[in-house]
Amino acid sequence: MSVALALYALATVDAAFCGYRAAAGRSALIAKRHYYQRAMLRGALWGQVAVAAAAGALLAFVLSSSEPTEAWHKLYAAGRRMLIVYLPYAGLILVAFAARAVPSVDVRSLTSTLVFGPMTLLRPFVAVAGMGWAIASSQDPLLGAIGIGVLALMLSMETLLGLRYRGSAWDPEAEAASDRCAAGAPGSGLPRER
Amino acid sequence: MRDEDEISDLIVRFDAVTLQRLPVRKHDVLTAFTAAGNERAARIVSAMPERDGVLVPEAVDRLLVRVHCEMQRISEEFQHGHRVAELLRPLLEALRVQGVERPLRVVDVGCGTGFVVRWLAARGGLGADVELIGADYNRALVDEAARLAASEGLAAQFVNANVFTLTEPATVFLTTGVIHHFRGPDLVEFFRQHEQPRAAAFLHFDFQPSVLAPFGSWLFHAVRMREPLARHDGVLSAVRAHTAATLLEAARRGSPGYSTAMYSTRLGFLPIPRSFHTLVGVRPGLRAAFMEKLGQRADRMGPFA
Repeated sequence: MSVALALYALATVDAAFCGYRAAAGRSALIAKRHYYQRAMLRGALWGQVAVAAAAGALLAFVLSSSEPTEAWHKLYAAGRRMLIVYLPYAGLILVAFAARAVPSVDVRSLTSTLVFGPMTLLRPFVAVAGMGWAIASSQDPLLGAIGIGVLALMLSMETLLGLRYRGSAWDPEAEAASDRCAAGAPGSGLPRER
Repeated sequence: MRDEDEISDLIVRFDAVTLQRLPVRKHDVLTAFTAAGNERAARIVSAMPERDGVLVPEAVDRLLVRVHCEMQRISEEFQHGHRVAELLRPLLEALRVQGVERPLRVVDVGCGTGFVVRWLAARGGLGADVELIGADYNRALVDEAARLAASEGLAAQFVNANVFTLTEPATVFLTTGVIHHFRGPDLVEFFRQHEQPRAAAFLHFDFQPSVLAPFGSWLFHAVRMREPLARHDGVLSAVRAHTAATLLEAARRGSPGYSTAMYSTRLGFLPIPRSFHTLVGVRPGLRAAFMEKLGQRADRMGPFA
């Protein structure tokens, strides 16, 4: 159960950061705390949908198996392998966040230069490595198919969350009216692109 | 250092005197990039909308506003507002000690959508005697900067003007990521225009060229930027940024009335170059007061000349 809880926590936090990255670079205001809080909450909530979909598929995998206990053990072993890959990555990010709390321009910039930037670049590879190891070790085609589906969700989450900011789907002035977090990018001062 | 044009250098043109927007023929831009062997830039430009062979100004402006928004995200991540304030506050204190005429007018040259000026207005704590002005040749960017400032109630002005010809002269000139756009004699000419009677100092922030800069710039533009133009120009900016020696020589030739030095080129005592370095120019009479007000950070200042 602790393996499942740890993976759930990681998935939720990862989805929240997907929400953050999807929103970043789209609002040119200076005060954006609420804008980012909402984006992260949105990411975490959509993450629950993805987690629920994955949990449903995995539950069906266990219940439809002729050997449910063995299927559960396979899942547990796969989850542990994923954690072995994902936890050091998450730990490094956590340490960088702790360092970013230091009120120093240099320290904060270094966290981006050494950790946040490179780790964002590596995230898809880490995601594939963890899932790939879990799938390969399970030697179960059905579990492999579910794993690939979950991986696709993980890797497409940021893009999917970013869809709301594109074109006319997003009304920056309405967002500004709610908490003064207007968005500059898609041309609120310029004619809208259709 | 390469003398290669960025896309944003070629897709907009303005009359230097009237600042009137001039039409840019798409074919000319494509030809320029193809001739320079920059097929990637040509592909990016070829996707831009045209009308009668001319790049559509409104579409170009929308793109540039989006690109500036993405650039702001990186500036925020790398604490650029704090970086500017760290130098500007002691500089303004030194100016007050010297009894310089008020208001102290800080002008951001080529401000784009005005991130630095708006950040300083919101978080800079510079004092009531400081006027913050952003200026840019591109009216669309200036209008967007003004709109953003108004929406947050920030005390900053944005003007579509050549700052060196403003009727209300600047006390401090400021730029971020602008000076590498001036090459050769244009760079010296840029500094020559700083020689105005009321101007007391300038702070020019730009990428610092190093062995690691192109890779670091590529990495951050790959993971943080969405617009292909932003990715292309951002990486090229780091590649063609001026060395400290080039900046100092040009500044000393163009504006000999200032003492100039490079600030914060290395990370502490480590031999690690910073992503950005700053060209600092102050009137000679201001130098001692400025260094005193910098306090411990004075260690980061290179030798003045």
